[in-house]
Amino acid sequence: MDTTTLQAVTVRLFGAFRQYADPPRLQVSLPAGATVAQLRSAFAEALPDDNARVLLKASAFATDEAVLEEDDPVPVEDVLSVLPPVCGG
Amino acid sequence: MPDMKPHFVAITDAPLDSAAALAHCDAPGHGAMDLFIGRVRDINQGRQVRAVSYDIQTALCRGIFTEICDEARTHWGEELRLTLMHRHGRLAVGEASVVAAASARHRDEAFKACRYLVEEMKHRAPIWKQEHYVDGDSEWVQGHALCQHG
Repeated sequence: MDTTTLQAVTVRLFGAFRQYADPPRLQVSLPAGATVAQLRSAFAEALPDDNARVLLKASAFATDEAVLEEDDPVPVEDVLSVLPPVCGG
Repeated sequence: MPDMKPHFVAITDAPLDSAAALAHCDAPGHGAMDLFIGRVRDINQGRQVRAVSYDIQTALCRGIFTEICDEARTHWGEELRLTLMHRHGRLAVGEASVVAAASARHRDEAFKACRYLVEEMKHRAPIWKQEHYVDGDSEWVQGHALCQHG
């Protein structure tokens, strides 16, 4: 696999992340075959401050179908979401 | 004719209808129906709340609601009928934010399944709330982390 090719991944922002971009989405570039852990590192660099990076440590990435694990490959064909800690009801 | 699907899940901007939630659970052999309504409270952690805005990752949330309903039927019987609905957008104090309903042959399964829907929704569903206070300030409420990483 050619890991030098960069792919653009779009991440939708929810909850407290919404304050960091308008419209609420950020784009990061990842090598082909990157894992969610690599996405987390690239995404942290795209965030504007340390408060956002602290929130990221407690947050998950997801597709529209499932919450992703750290060693999952990033499904680059999907728009992803970053999910801070949840509190419905 | 009642809806014959074993569960009904929804995320909506419209006011939640508890009678409709119960109607989705209607079954002639069910002697027990349990209904839970979660509402916006006027005080949280000592601060006077004016309203709450709910943000939801809708597509994922629908899937997780369905997963939770399937789990409840695995635990307490495939014949259970279940409803789980959550409101999206800005709600005033007193408005219903979530409605859960469960029906079963007997009350024990209905109570337990209904509680399961609510507790699992609070811990797993991609929903966030921002409280708006009487003093003009607003804050996102802290919640449960979905990530497993160290």
